[in-house]
Amino acid sequence: MISVFLAQLAKERRNPLLIIVFIAASIGVTLIFTGGTQSPESISIFSEEDHAQAIEEKWERLLNEGDENNLHFVTTTPEEAKEDVQQGRSDLAVRLFENDYQLIKSSNIPTVPYVDQHVRKVFEKEAFISTAVEQSEDPEGLRAEITTKLDDPPMEMEVASLAGDELSNYDMGTQLMFAFTLLIAMFIIGFRVNNIMKDKVYGLWDRMILSPVSKTGMYTAYITYACFIGFVQTMSAILIFKYVLNYDVGERLGLLIVIIAFFTFSMVSIATLFTGIVKNPEQFYAIYPSVIPIIPLISGAYMMPGTLNNPVLTFIGDLFPVSHAMDAIINVVIYDANWQEIIQPLVLMTLIGVVAMGIGVNLVERRTY
Amino acid sequence: MIETIQLSKAFKERTVVEDVDLYLDKGESVGLLGPNGAGKSTTISMISSLLKPTSGDVKLDGKSVISDPGNIRKVLGVVPQEIALYQELTAYENLKFFGRIYRVPKGQLESRIQETLELVGLKDRQKDIIKTFSGGMKRRINIASALLHNPKILILDEPTVGIDPQSRNYILDMIRQLNESNGTTVLYTSHYMEEVEQLCNRVYIMDHGKVIASGSHSELLSILSNEDTMKVQLNQMNEDFIKAIQDIDVVRQVEETGDGIKIIAKKSANIISSLVKFADQQNIQILNFQMENPSLEDVFLHLTGRTLRD
Repeated sequence: MISVFLAQLAKERRNPLLIIVFIAASIGVTLIFTGGTQSPESISIFSEEDHAQAIEEKWERLLNEGDENNLHFVTTTPEEAKEDVQQGRSDLAVRLFENDYQLIKSSNIPTVPYVDQHVRKVFEKEAFISTAVEQSEDPEGLRAEITTKLDDPPMEMEVASLAGDELSNYDMGTQLMFAFTLLIAMFIIGFRVNNIMKDKVYGLWDRMILSPVSKTGMYTAYITYACFIGFVQTMSAILIFKYVLNYDVGERLGLLIVIIAFFTFSMVSIATLFTGIVKNPEQFYAIYPSVIPIIPLISGAYMMPGTLNNPVLTFIGDLFPVSHAMDAIINVVIYDANWQEIIQPLVLMTLIGVVAMGIGVNLVERRTY
Repeated sequence: MIETIQLSKAFKERTVVEDVDLYLDKGESVGLLGPNGAGKSTTISMISSLLKPTSGDVKLDGKSVISDPGNIRKVLGVVPQEIALYQELTAYENLKFFGRIYRVPKGQLESRIQETLELVGLKDRQKDIIKTFSGGMKRRINIASALLHNPKILILDEPTVGIDPQSRNYILDMIRQLNESNGTTVLYTSHYMEEVEQLCNRVYIMDHGKVIASGSHSELLSILSNEDTMKVQLNQMNEDFIKAIQDIDVVRQVEETGDGIKIIAKKSANIISSLVKFADQQNIQILNFQMENPSLEDVFLHLTGRTLRD
């Protein structure tokens, strides 16, 4: 068994490019897709009124007060702002009036209501202060007083989680980082499990059967190797994200390692099931990479939790380990869950793993090449 | 040493091997000859315990291999038709891998690898990756992988398919050396009759899943002892001429060759005058005429009405 495992490792060492490319791909894809969520989104503002400059200066200052919204408003020319929206370079722009605004947008993407909410809040606050100040004999003094009171109100609403803890900020970038890392791991795991079928077709499997190595030992070696390489690839990517790119992967790295180990085993089992279903290695290479990208999609791995609520898609998604792995990872990384809180996804991944492995190995054994 | 008893294999409704009886004595070199699809590979898969027969048995020294495959696997080396090697690894790494899985003792592994590389003539290429090798070199390492554990019985499934004549001769010499010097029992399957003629003391001829003839070289040739084989070189030929020859009473078979015809006829029958007459009628010129010693190819043709490569 060890000899078979070492032979697989020797092949990998002879040609390590694939695994390096896959680690680089998971990092690259994450950086591309999370680039926008890591830095403030820049939104163009402009005015076409007579005293445009004064209006722009006033609202640019007010709109950029506080950075909790991750939005950054920049004054540009009306032509440039409109063209950027038209060409798809920006999601939207804000046209400013003396006491009003207008959103320039090309489609109703999720960013629009988010920006609208912030701009409306700033305009309403300013309208409230302006109305009060107009009636006052000491406008500047009153404005300063209102601003102070609003910044330090007599009553404050405190938001807390059900357990009474501080409510965590949801970081979509972190979720996408894990989703893409697991997606890429699914590919490498599948390709390595497919080695069983390749070696069967090319006669190596029969040679091993004739040796003193038991069949159980042979399957164990191939499956352990696929688990090992999937685990190494995933953990390498996560550690690069944590220590090189400074992504937040939470404080419980130990739990993350456990989740990745369960996910890897479960995914190896799914790949074994695929291997048993297809007829030859070439068919595997054609079908597996076409199906795998769909799985995180229907598992909701790329969306905010709760976005995907179609019961059929949710059911299909739950049949694959990635949805349970993401569930556990998000709980640990964002909500700081302990191991007891992630037992359910771990059990589900184990269950999927055992069932898929049982059926998969059976099908692989029945297949004649 | 090894014998098969009424060995049969059917896949669903299709019977690919039917009631095959064969035996190999210790130190013998036996050929299994037949065209593609004759059932040779299925037969050796059953002998080597890779495939369970539908009926019948395989015995090694009187003990069933079907119920206890471990016995035969210890003494068996199998060279498959495919190049069953890790293409990404070097020749040395491949041999080390096979040596390890065949439990060659650690202390002996290195010397066994070097001996085997020496035998197949690739010692100086041991550090090269298999995928950079020529077809013939790959075949030699394919054979070497089956020899590391010093098997008593060596089964080779068409080990010279698709390689150049030089590599082919090298492989044949190597197998002969293993059989003659080491006393390794050899079961050699091929559809090249000349290879089997060169290597094997006894031959089994298979066609459509059945053994249709067996025996030593001379025993098989004696099947044709009542016949003469004549090779006639012609400047041209046509169907009427061939049909006219076929219609001669004493003619058993007529086969077209590249430059004429081969006639198998009753021993000592005089067909020359008829041959000359028909050629004259069809304006065909006889360029050469010679009597030939029969070969296994002729035996196969006689038994099946087809050539081995049909």
